[in-house]
Amino acid sequence: MNRLTRFLINAAFFLEGSASYKKIKEFFYNLLENDSYKYKKYFDYFMIFLILSSIVIIIEETDHPIYYWLRFYDLYVVTGIFIVEYLLRLWVYADLRKIVIEEFESSVFLGKRFDTKKVLKKIFLKIREYIFSPFAMIDLLAILPAYRELRILRIFVLFRAFKIFRYSKNTIEFFKVITSKKTELNVLIFMMLFIVFISGVSLYVFEEKTNPNVHSLLDSFYWAFVTISTVGYGDITPLSNEARIFTIIIILSGLSLLSFFTSIIVSSFTEKIDQIKYTKILSQVEKLDSYYLICGYSHLAELVAQKLKSEKKKLVIIEPDPQKNEIIQKKGYLGIKDDASKREVLETIKMKEKAKAVICLAQDDLHNIVIALNVRSISKGIPIITRSFSKNSQKKLKLAGADYVVSPYETAGLIASKILSQPIAMEAIINILSKKKNAVCDEVEVLRDSFLENKKIEEIDIESYKLILLGVRRIDEHGKKFHFNPPDSFVLKTGDLLIIMGYSISVSHFKSQVIESSLAHARKKR
Amino acid sequence: MREKRDNILLIGYGRYGEKIANFFDENEGNLYILETEEKNIQRARQNGWDKLFLIDIDNDDALLDILEKENFSYVFCATDDEEKNVYFTITLKSLKSNIKIISICESKESERKLKLAGALRVIDTMEGSANKIFHLIEKPAVMEAIEEILFTSDDIDIKEIEIPKNSFLEGKYIKDIDFKKDFNLILIGIIDKEQGDNFVFITKGINHKLDAEDILVIIGYNDDIKKFIKALKESRQR
Repeated sequence: MNRLTRFLINAAFFLEGSASYKKIKEFFYNLLENDSYKYKKYFDYFMIFLILSSIVIIIEETDHPIYYWLRFYDLYVVTGIFIVEYLLRLWVYADLRKIVIEEFESSVFLGKRFDTKKVLKKIFLKIREYIFSPFAMIDLLAILPAYRELRILRIFVLFRAFKIFRYSKNTIEFFKVITSKKTELNVLIFMMLFIVFISGVSLYVFEEKTNPNVHSLLDSFYWAFVTISTVGYGDITPLSNEARIFTIIIILSGLSLLSFFTSIIVSSFTEKIDQIKYTKILSQVEKLDSYYLICGYSHLAELVAQKLKSEKKKLVIIEPDPQKNEIIQKKGYLGIKDDASKREVLETIKMKEKAKAVICLAQDDLHNIVIALNVRSISKGIPIITRSFSKNSQKKLKLAGADYVVSPYETAGLIASKILSQPIAMEAIINILSKKKNAVCDEVEVLRDSFLENKKIEEIDIESYKLILLGVRRIDEHGKKFHFNPPDSFVLKTGDLLIIMGYSISVSHFKSQVIESSLAHARKKR
Repeated sequence: MREKRDNILLIGYGRYGEKIANFFDENEGNLYILETEEKNIQRARQNGWDKLFLIDIDNDDALLDILEKENFSYVFCATDDEEKNVYFTITLKSLKSNIKIISICESKESERKLKLAGALRVIDTMEGSANKIFHLIEKPAVMEAIEEILFTSDDIDIKEIEIPKNSFLEGKYIKDIDFKKDFNLILIGIIDKEQGDNFVFITKGINHKLDAEDILVIIGYNDDIKKFIKALKESRQR
């Protein structure tokens, strides 16, 4: 094993073992490439500022002498930062150490010699891959205008302008779309060059002697290009009949090529538009800390979403149907066009870490069962609520992992059973639950050290808050129990939940009083 | 309380109808079931219902016959198809204008149509289910409490009580009566006949003067409710 090989392996393993190296690299990766990283956008703004300022300086410089410090700023600060950025991007582009480690491990495993040449070649290819990627080329060319001695290099100031695109996500998407149609565009360019070539040559052959405006082959190519693009300056025009016939052919093919070009761009966008929207929504979902997940966009799902939205809760909806997705978007929800019964879908939106509960509201029992199973297979603890359709499916849904099964048919039955004898009372309760009349039913926790703790019901005087106390939910060693209309001597304990009814303003006032009293006590203690 | 048992008609024995029949309290009256499809009638028969009618949806004469013969106090329009419910509501109203109809619907749109068609009350099952789901994830204790009070517990009930003439409540102000201390009941609200038929939530803080025929909406243990009603009646006789 020679020294170079030993050095490569040692360095690779040293870096692999160093936590701080990885941390620093991850930081720069996030800063440069990770769109969901919080501070990336500040870095992007900073770079855009540098580019704009340097462009202004270069333009100004072309016909005025500029201050020395401006020149210094452009020549050293901006260019310096560009160079550092270029190198950092190269660094975070790939984990080169892994190439070495992989080769080392396979050589140990297979008992063969460590192939230094192969590794170096791989590293070289990786670096080349980066250097020749379109954005890296732009980055490199954007550094060049700093070299003032070569005036032609000034033209690369354009690349500084291009560089701005790098910091705008939409433009990156645009280029991606264009490059996805590479084959078609190549065919188009080839066709165009072919026609330009043929017609250029023929104009030259026909009119080089007779036409005073055609001096060289370049002139006729220029004429062919101006004509095929339908620009038609008219500085060179064909005079002979033969050349005019050619002109007609060029104009016709020019028109068809243009429309071909437009259709390629448009079709590639329509093909990609879903993808673009999808990535945009995913990045929005990624920014949420937690959300409720609704699977399936049925009428019931819409109502639930409305209620959650009115309480300012974050939610994500997964629905495979494209038309329904359009409605979801119009209503301003985060909708993902996909099938919630696929494992990878739930993994991309980080359901396990972020979803507070999953609500399965697909169009039939079968789908809800499959979705519930999928959710359960990823996370054991997450609460699952599903709707059931047929009466036999309740058991199956529970088996599939649903914690609660809601059946509109049962709801109807329950309400109908009461509405005959107590129509007004039922309506009032329904109104309270759906918050139609400004009156609400809510739960208030007895917080530690709040004015509720260890107090008797009669001491609180709930009526003075313009509230009704329906009961107290207490969890003790016997489990959960709802104490309906507890007697005045009932003593409240920490963790009890008061179930109260009242106007929303009274309820929020009472809630804030409880929280404040608890906080005030905590402050005093400190 | 009622002297004669009411006849109640349930139209539709699909998914909704079956559940409504299941939860139907026999004390409320006699349940008749009307269907347009033979297989649903058979299912109803298998489930133990015997007062069954099978008619064609367009056969208004047959429907009128049934209405005149049995004199229903309430009709439930509870087919699984919202439009059918609207159609039945309109048909029933055209046959007998004073008929009381309670209908099932699944959307705001149908609710509007049903009310326009003349349904007395409309149960929006989707709204109800959405409420349930919302409370399950955001306020589970509220959901449990409400379900216990309304449905699960046999001891606790919600009741509308009309104030009889000359009873001890007549002429009193709400704030003068301590429902909790005196009767162990929770007063939710009242329907003040003087101010229209609207339900007034008690925590609005208005000190209503109670008149005869006003309706109190209370929640309490069954025994306490019975005692309260008895007290009301006795005070009237004196």
